[in-house]
Amino acid sequence: MISSPAAETGLDAATAELLAGSLREVLAKNPDGPGLGSALEELGWDEVLADDRAGATTLLFVEHGRALATSRVLDDVLLAELAPSLPAPGAGTRVPFYPLATAAPVPPGAPLAGLVLGGWEGVTEVVVPVALDGRVELALVPAGQVAALARPAGGFDPASRWLLVEGPVDGLTEHTLPDGGAWEHAVAAGRRALAAEIIGVCAAALAIAVEHTSARVQYGRQIATFQAVRHRLSEAHVATESARSILTVAWAALDHPDGGVGAARLAKLRAGWAQGEVMRHVLQVCGAMGLSLEHQLHRHVSRAAALDALLGGHRALTAQLGADLLAGADFDPVVEI
Amino acid sequence: MTGLAGAPTTAGPVGDARAGGPFAEDLDAYRLALREHLRAEPALGHFRDRRYPSTEARMADHARLERLLHDGGWNRYGWPPAAGGLGGDERHRAVLYDELAAAGLPIPGQHMLLETLGPPVLRFTPDLAAEHLPAYLRGEEWWGQGFSEPEAGSDLASLRCRARRDGDTYVVTGQKLWTSHGATATRLVCLVRTGTPQARHRGLSMIMIDVGAPGVTIRPIAMANGDNELAEVFFDDVVVPASRLIGAEGQGWAVAMYLLQFERAMYAWLCAAEALRRLRELRGQLAAGAAAGRTLPADAATRLGEAYAHLVALRARSADTVRRLAAGDTVGPEASIDKVLLATAEICLHDTARDLLSDEFLFATEDAPDATAPAAAAAPAAAARSEEIAQWRTDWWFSRSATILGGSAEVQRTILADHVLGLPKETKP
Repeated sequence: MISSPAAETGLDAATAELLAGSLREVLAKNPDGPGLGSALEELGWDEVLADDRAGATTLLFVEHGRALATSRVLDDVLLAELAPSLPAPGAGTRVPFYPLATAAPVPPGAPLAGLVLGGWEGVTEVVVPVALDGRVELALVPAGQVAALARPAGGFDPASRWLLVEGPVDGLTEHTLPDGGAWEHAVAAGRRALAAEIIGVCAAALAIAVEHTSARVQYGRQIATFQAVRHRLSEAHVATESARSILTVAWAALDHPDGGVGAARLAKLRAGWAQGEVMRHVLQVCGAMGLSLEHQLHRHVSRAAALDALLGGHRALTAQLGADLLAGADFDPVVEI
Repeated sequence: MTGLAGAPTTAGPVGDARAGGPFAEDLDAYRLALREHLRAEPALGHFRDRRYPSTEARMADHARLERLLHDGGWNRYGWPPAAGGLGGDERHRAVLYDELAAAGLPIPGQHMLLETLGPPVLRFTPDLAAEHLPAYLRGEEWWGQGFSEPEAGSDLASLRCRARRDGDTYVVTGQKLWTSHGATATRLVCLVRTGTPQARHRGLSMIMIDVGAPGVTIRPIAMANGDNELAEVFFDDVVVPASRLIGAEGQGWAVAMYLLQFERAMYAWLCAAEALRRLRELRGQLAAGAAAGRTLPADAATRLGEAYAHLVALRARSADTVRRLAAGDTVGPEASIDKVLLATAEICLHDTARDLLSDEFLFATEDAPDATAPAAAAAPAAAARSEEIAQWRTDWWFSRSATILGGSAEVQRTILADHVLGLPKETKP
């Protein structure tokens, strides 16, 4: 109805449809956990990724969002960008640290304030970006040190399984490695993936709202026949589709002189903005049901908000973008015909 | 300098016009050559940062810009040789608008309606296009769009302006309202009723009417900013040759639907290009204001970032739609998304300008020499500043039409609800 998997990716329609189906099955079996990695491996996901990185990444994360899954696939996206700047990993697992706010590297002497995407089983080190003399360096911090500062990030999205990390790490700047621009590109890659994931959550929430309003009868008619309801759903659709368009553009911007960093920020910003629009509208048209624990909608609302906050919430990114422009940054047209 | 029209050279952008210009098949070469031309051509300097006292003055000057672009061959790309063009497709036109805006130049106002009216005339009545489009591209004539009527705003199917067949002519009687460019255009492309009112959209036809024909009366409508952007048009037994029919009799709705694709795609892209130029200008004006000691509102960065993000989002969507049109795809009801995004971006840009220019936007002392003004040397700068702000006031009013003209915001959302989301239909009272 709203858009086929093919419209979301560069894969051909039949392949995308087939892959989306497989992903839905895999995600339904492994909604939250380490099983997803091996299931994707079985699916031959690495090959799909090698064939069409944009299409495959978008497809995976849209479905991840639609399923409200909580895995560490996003870690892999960042780590792939960071790998060239880091020594080969040992036996254990390496995970990235996600600073809050605009995902800026940690200033010298500042405490950590950010997230990691899951528990510590098998994790041996955490990659922390550090700001040193105007450049970015990467610190490999033993997992135990970060774990000591971590507690479950409950709050608005208790199902996220993320951990909130707050506090100082001793000697953070002592053994850092030059990042060679890798952190900026890791953030950009993460933002493209997150934009897709948010789009998936939004599409699922909109589908719930369309279904609900088409079935629910008040005043003797389906409530989706009321103009006020219809127009809210249309606006939610516009916001979601707009996020899709700019995500496509962000993938096409990889050969831009900035390596696609600017376009990725815009894609994430617009996806974050879209989830705000979509959730406001779907919550209203689903009525009190959408606010209840037993109904599934609240899970989408919470997850979308949490995903928005990861690697830069849309409000923080908008302010940052505007400050750059006020300071004289180019009004990059981003898109050409 | 560039080759003249018809000159048998491949060095300039014109080349052998009958077969299409040298850039017809090479969009990137067109883009680069155009970019260089716009950068280097001294005659274009006149049009940069130019403000006009009225719509009439603006259109007259923009016609000169159009002529310059035509003589170099630049605005002929995207139109077929048979209609005065040099070949290529919609993407060439989109590139023209983008490059003009990037070079700090206005997009000729005439091209706004060329984008909506040109394609259907070309598609349904090639002879008429061959006869009149060349002059349009030269800036010698332009057309207005006569769709709405007093009793038919967004609800076009209920329009009543009538065209009665009489031998080789039609006799048109009735009224059009909110006719775009009605005050300055030389011809009007009108949707008229040739069938019964009960036939609704099946009884409509599209026809081109000369403004100078006996029985046509134009009454310009001043918008809230004082500009005659629109008009009211009265037809009193106006005789129009049947050859002026665009498409067959009774095909008017199909012609209008074909036209709408271009309105949603090309017009949106054109507006986005222009809006990006205006946002860039706004930043310059804010910086100048700050340098002169004015304080920026605390949320200035966020507002500017938001306006820019809306514009880039519109471009992302619109570029895809333009490419689909150029590939010959039919753009369906999903193009209402483009229209909603365009309106959102336009409204946001102009609200941002209003709020960030704040008191300067709201208050002005007109023609009153300021007793406390510094030395006379500063006066031209102050006058230029006040003209810049006045332009934003004018544009702010026009931006409000983004959710009204060409199918209101409500109509767009209803189209999406019906045809894209597939919601159960709204019940009629």
